[in-house]
Amino acid sequence: MAATEATTIRLQSNDNHVMDVDKAVAERSLLIKNMLEDLGDAAVSETIPIPNVTEPVLRKVIEWCEHHRGDPPATNEEESDTRKRTTEIEEWDQKFMQVDQEMLFEIILASNYLDIKPLLDVGCKTVANMIKGKSPEEIRKTFNITNDFTPEEEEQIRRENEWAEDR
Amino acid sequence: MSNYKRASQPGRSSILSTLQATTMLDTKPILPAEILVSILDFLPVSDQINFAKTSRRMKEMVYDDTRWISRLHSMGCWDEAEARRRFEDAIKRKREAAERANAAAAGATPLAAKRTTLFDAGQEEERRKKLAEEAAKAPEIRVDGFETLSLHASTKNSQEDPSTILDVYKNVRSIRGYARQEYGKIYGALAPFYYDLAAAKSHTEPAVFKAFRDPEKQAQMLRNLQRFSQNDWAQGWNERGEVLTNMCNIFENAVLREFEQGYEFMDVEGRMRRYAHVLHDLNGGNAAMEVFISKHPILNNRDALGNPMDCINQAPEDGITLEPSRAFFKAMAMKINEQSAVISQIFPDAEAVFWSLLDRIREDIIVEYITPILDESHDRNLEAYLKAASGLFEQCMAFVGSLDPPSKSKESLEKQAKDFGLKTFDLHLDLYFREELDFFTRYAEREVLNWEQKLSEQDASVESFFMSSFNRRADKNDFLSSFKKVVMMPVSVLPTIPISSPFGSSKAASAAAPRPDSIAGMPGTSKTTTPNISGSLEPKTGPLPSEAPTDELKAKAALMANRLEGIKSLFSIEVALDLVGNAKEGLGRVAVFIRLGGQAGEEAREQCEAIFISLLQVLGQKHVKNGFVKAVEHLSKYKAREVSDHQAGVAPLVTFIELVNVGDLISQMIDMFYEQQLAAPKISDRNDFLDPAGLAKKKWEQMLDESVAAGLNKGIDVLMDEVEYICATTQLPTDYNPAPDGAEEKGGMQQGGDMGPTQTAIRVRDLVASHTNMLVGSTEKTMLDVFNGEVGLRLFTAICKHLKRQRVSTEGAIKLIADTTLYFEYIRGLKNQDLLAYFKALRELSQIYLIDAKHAKEMATIIADGDRFGGIFRAEEVYEYAERRADWYQVKRNVERAMYGMDCSVM
Repeated sequence: MAATEATTIRLQSNDNHVMDVDKAVAERSLLIKNMLEDLGDAAVSETIPIPNVTEPVLRKVIEWCEHHRGDPPATNEEESDTRKRTTEIEEWDQKFMQVDQEMLFEIILASNYLDIKPLLDVGCKTVANMIKGKSPEEIRKTFNITNDFTPEEEEQIRRENEWAEDR
Repeated sequence: MSNYKRASQPGRSSILSTLQATTMLDTKPILPAEILVSILDFLPVSDQINFAKTSRRMKEMVYDDTRWISRLHSMGCWDEAEARRRFEDAIKRKREAAERANAAAAGATPLAAKRTTLFDAGQEEERRKKLAEEAAKAPEIRVDGFETLSLHASTKNSQEDPSTILDVYKNVRSIRGYARQEYGKIYGALAPFYYDLAAAKSHTEPAVFKAFRDPEKQAQMLRNLQRFSQNDWAQGWNERGEVLTNMCNIFENAVLREFEQGYEFMDVEGRMRRYAHVLHDLNGGNAAMEVFISKHPILNNRDALGNPMDCINQAPEDGITLEPSRAFFKAMAMKINEQSAVISQIFPDAEAVFWSLLDRIREDIIVEYITPILDESHDRNLEAYLKAASGLFEQCMAFVGSLDPPSKSKESLEKQAKDFGLKTFDLHLDLYFREELDFFTRYAEREVLNWEQKLSEQDASVESFFMSSFNRRADKNDFLSSFKKVVMMPVSVLPTIPISSPFGSSKAASAAAPRPDSIAGMPGTSKTTTPNISGSLEPKTGPLPSEAPTDELKAKAALMANRLEGIKSLFSIEVALDLVGNAKEGLGRVAVFIRLGGQAGEEAREQCEAIFISLLQVLGQKHVKNGFVKAVEHLSKYKAREVSDHQAGVAPLVTFIELVNVGDLISQMIDMFYEQQLAAPKISDRNDFLDPAGLAKKKWEQMLDESVAAGLNKGIDVLMDEVEYICATTQLPTDYNPAPDGAEEKGGMQQGGDMGPTQTAIRVRDLVASHTNMLVGSTEKTMLDVFNGEVGLRLFTAICKHLKRQRVSTEGAIKLIADTTLYFEYIRGLKNQDLLAYFKALRELSQIYLIDAKHAKEMATIIADGDRFGGIFRAEEVYEYAERRADWYQVKRNVERAMYGMDCSVM
């Protein structure tokens, strides 16, 4: 635990892998950032357990954080919530998200848990792109959804939303 | 989330990794609802709907009203207030229904009650269902509608009834719970066109242009689509938006070209009108407006309207005539009014176009026209400059007032006029205000100085003559009434004029011309002002009905000055009148700016007050006060005994009292001026005790009062000197003590049994009376009372003193009694009870001389009778007077004996 300690912290995934991460990188996660702030310097020497995230996912998330370490902090959160959010995904992020669907979902869940809003957004956008143009049946498959409509209900909902059908 | 349990995490991925490819369904980690929601937000609408079709849970999530409200909101067609109203209406209806049901239940038979309760319970549900069905049906019906239509439609995208599509935004309602349905209508109408356009490669492709052939409809559609694009935030929205914007620009340019071509041929009714409307539909039509204004012919041939230098060149030396500028404005107004008609034919929002055209004209033409006039006249002659500034402003306002904008609303015209005036004169205002005040102050000071120089050239002691023969008060009132009329007249002309009154322009001219002489309007009023003027100076105005009241005023001023000639020496009503007239002129000029309102208006108002204050200062401090100081000086120099020529009055005192009169006159003038020029048009607030103009006026009045008081004090001294001098020099010893044989010796003078008062008494009385009378009506009553009281008291002492020097015989006593009665009568005229007591006592006193020597005893009784003299004289004093009896030494013993008894004879 030398002078570099101040800038490095240890994270431990739920399968007990420990990894050293730059503090600045780890603080992309608001969860970790707030925790460090609350605990003060004492926390720096401790290993921080991340109980909900497995090692591969955590590595992936850290990879993203490292790439985006220099990003300006998210501006007003409300603003992004309003309208016209940027829906385009950066090229690097697109490549980054070229993982299997399970990993994708895990990343989304991890970023949700770790409170990394930009990563969560990228994830959601990626998922949205996956869904785009799919039929209901395909969507069900993707999301593991059970169809609980009766045929009548299905018909009604179709009629109700005829206006939105691609022509 | 009942359907989506998160799979247990630990160890899952490692176990299942091999199974992924085959059994995806079982291995998916499940995303929680809030993440699904945010994913949904990134989806285009059609995919959201597909998502809704997957399961009930999803449907609920997608159907959530807020999602759709926010979309409607982003397009600006969600009205929260309307939604709330509808919601409250619904609640109310529900409550009313419940109440009705309850009432029915209470009064009805059990059976009926049962029925109604059943109905009641079901009613709301039913109603809601019906609404929902209707709402659900609405798109259905329409779908049916355009399915049949599509058979005839030329392209596949124009399936919908075109007008429905064009007006889709107008038909949107804000109902809570039905935002999705409402959104559906819009989406159904516009989305096909939108996505089609976004995919288009060139401007000929998009279905919008094929489905709608009219440029008007195309413009409306493009506008709708732009609005629609506001709610597109799915991936790729900015490309789509760009395409749309490009398309709109291409379209706009095309239309604008058509518009310009129409402009070149002045095809007002046809192309210009049409394409202006198209552009208006597209994006408010700013482009058309700009083209229209920038290419407007008015801006190009501005020289035709006149040369600003005419105003200066056509005027006499150093003057300025605003006739050319009036013509300029008139021509301008005519042209613009013509344009107004054209504009309202061409443009849908004609008013905006009209005002921005006017704005442009103001910048390019009017300012160009006005500035050289002002600059030039400022260099040449200040007075001309002042007139020009005010006059041009007036004309400018009248000009805007005479405009005939496409849609008439009085308020906006008023506002625009203010705005216009402000912008036009913005640069000139400061300089103008400053110059106006300077000009007036300098002028006033110069006048006063001139006058003083003239005064010192003439000797100030020019013979003044007695003026008691004039009915001073009537004259003054007469003068003031005509002054008032003159002051009032322009006031009633200037501010009350409505801007667009028929004689707006002519008024502007008259206001700008050298002012007072041009107010010659108002025939008839002058007739009534003249009746009691004294003959020759003012011919009855029957044959001259249009005689200007100012002339009348001048005549009266001359008359007044004539009458007051004797006292012209110290300060002059003419100067005051002149200054007031000038101040009024300046005020009138500045006052037109007040209606600008805002800061400029406030500045103008302050300027008016400043002029008034400056008027008071110059007039008060420099003119009137100096006059009074000099008058007091003269008074104090006056020595009764050194003046050889004694007239009926004390010259400096007469002068002074006349000064008081004139001062009062001026003061009343100022007061009237204040009321009419400052208080009435609300330039200055009478009730605001901090108002500078009000303060200055109070100070002025105070100064006047102080001066008068100081002068009167001196005046009384002088007057009493004079009284004593008269008494000493004219009272003959024989007056009260005629020689026994006086009847023969001085028969000529006394004329035997003449019982009247002596000459001296008459002269004294006349002297005092004439001076006190002079003050009547010119000073405050209280001050007058104090003055009279003081004069009376001093007169009393003077007479007593005088009496003690006389020797009075029994025969002479009759004269004395007559004298004292004379004084008494005079004092009674003053209506001062305290004073009267003194003179009553004096009269009583004089009776002791009448008592025959034989009745010494009675004499003693009278002397000792303090009550008889009202406490004015004590017995000792009366005794002293009794000593003045000619036969005192004969009666002394008897009197003393009667008074003190025998013992006293020892002394």
